Amino acid sequence: MWKSPVNVAGAASLSFWPILPHMYNSSETKSDRIIEVNDLAKEYRVYDKPEGLWASVRGLFHRKNRIIHALRGVNLSVGRGEFLAMLGPNGAGKTTFLKLLSGIITPTRGTARVLGHVPWDRADDFRRRFALVMGQKNQLWWDLPAAESFRLHQEIYRIDPARFAKIHDELVDMLGVSRLLGQPVRELSLGERMKLELIAALLHEPEVLFLDEPTIGLDVVAQHTIHEFLRHIQKQRSVTVILTTHYMKDVAALCERVVVVTHGSILYDGSLEQIVDRFTTHKVVTLDLENAPAPGEMERFGFSCEVHGPRVSLRIDRSRIADVLPKLLASQQVRDVSVEDVPLEEIVAGLFRGAANRQAGIDPEQEVGAV
Amino acid sequence: MNLAFYLLIFSFTPEIGRGSGWSREPFFAFVATGLIINAIVQTLFMPSASELTEMVRTGGLDSVLVRPLDAQFLLSMHRFDFSSMANGLVGLGLLIWAVLRFPVAPPLIAWLLYPLLIVSGVAILYGLIIMLAAATILMGRNQSLYDFWFYITNFSRYPAEIYAGPWGDPLRTFCTFVIPILLVVNVPAGTLARPLSGQAWGMVVLTFAAAGISVGLSRIVFQAALARYRSASS
Repeated sequence: MWKSPVNVAGAASLSFWPILPHMYNSSETKSDRIIEVNDLAKEYRVYDKPEGLWASVRGLFHRKNRIIHALRGVNLSVGRGEFLAMLGPNGAGKTTFLKLLSGIITPTRGTARVLGHVPWDRADDFRRRFALVMGQKNQLWWDLPAAESFRLHQEIYRIDPARFAKIHDELVDMLGVSRLLGQPVRELSLGERMKLELIAALLHEPEVLFLDEPTIGLDVVAQHTIHEFLRHIQKQRSVTVILTTHYMKDVAALCERVVVVTHGSILYDGSLEQIVDRFTTHKVVTLDLENAPAPGEMERFGFSCEVHGPRVSLRIDRSRIADVLPKLLASQQVRDVSVEDVPLEEIVAGLFRGAANRQAGIDPEQEVGAV
Repeated sequence: MNLAFYLLIFSFTPEIGRGSGWSREPFFAFVATGLIINAIVQTLFMPSASELTEMVRTGGLDSVLVRPLDAQFLLSMHRFDFSSMANGLVGLGLLIWAVLRFPVAPPLIAWLLYPLLIVSGVAILYGLIIMLAAATILMGRNQSLYDFWFYITNFSRYPAEIYAGPWGDPLRTFCTFVIPILLVVNVPAGTLARPLSGQAWGMVVLTFAAAGISVGLSRIVFQAALARYRSASS
């Protein structure tokens, strides 16, 4: 059974979304949990530099520092083979979380074990078993062709030559990048580079894969290719994946479990389906009518009514759909009708807004102190 | 240009520092030793060290830390600059020229110690570079620290005997025992160019010890800095 999220009450400010106690159920045993995080927190002290020469001189003797709470005591447990998405606005703490789990930075407090290791001990045995791909940073050698970077990876990760050749060919074929291998990485497009970054990350067959916004800036075709590739690899190899992203398409295409993070705390931890069930009370009904409706005619069926000629979109309470829909269809000449959930982007944006409002109202993000 | 300047000096004086033993050929052996050590450092370590600031600033260090490699090894040797070896070859030629003109040929033990002391000198400088690199990790930038590197290594370019008098003696003590920069060139060059007296043996032992301490301390400081690495925002 998964641990309950640290903070589900954050959604309380979202007035039209009901708050339910939540537990993410799983039949996995404790030994299947390969990532265990308890009360993980990271704080940064930053110098609040005032403007002007005199203020700079004063800053030599009296510095005002702010404490930034990048993570505020996160608890999380991830099972082997899970594909988990972390959603959150900029500065929510998603990348900090991945950096902690990768051992790049050390926490201010709390514990974490990934594959049985404390990440920030940076044991070689641990580092051979995971990979981190950052969409906004290169890990391939910029001036070298990817083929040479891959060879370097083979040496660094001590991959058996025959095994390396097999995996390399398989991954290169899957992503169709054989013609790019001899080109210096700096000459490749963003999408091409990301495909090669993913290959480099997977050559040593990691058990855990951390993906930090891997589709950022990519066109829809490249995004789709990477979705297909990741889905296939994750299923084929049972890799445990934690993905941070701003794109709901990534989440919908790949992940069963979603963790929503805002202001360094977990706001929601559960399935993608549940996020819709929990945080929306209505569905979106879209109708294509024979004729445009009279003004004000449709509002009696639902709210947030949008009329564009004969096309009408309105929101109806989920509990009333079965009652309202037959009446709606009977009252109009309808050519087409669709009933859909509220778009995921909208739900998540609402969650972020609610958390931001709560944060602004109750708890100032930063504590100011003089050192 | 420097060599011509030194030739000019030796047209006025037979020795730098009375009784120091740094007459023309031994002094050119000193200059040659400095060139060789500097060339090794410039070839093997400086290109990587000078890139470290950028890696810390841009977050490039992140990808180093997730690889199953010793971060200090990778960061201090990931880029070589073989063009800097040209100065080393000039130094080697100058050394051969100078040694062939020594009034007394260096004994076998001096020849055996010389390469070991060159390695020790390089190790002392390597330790200093790594400690400056560690400061980069902590501060995110350190241009002034690299200026400090330039000024502090300047001391190693001249015989220790020139640091004398009320200001020179404390400076010499500091640059021998605290930041042992004066050992880097003086001891290997002195071993080759001057008789191995009891005091000279003491300096040889001190140089080996300083090399070990410098590398060991750099390791501790570097690991401590990595533990405090903040990474750059993505």
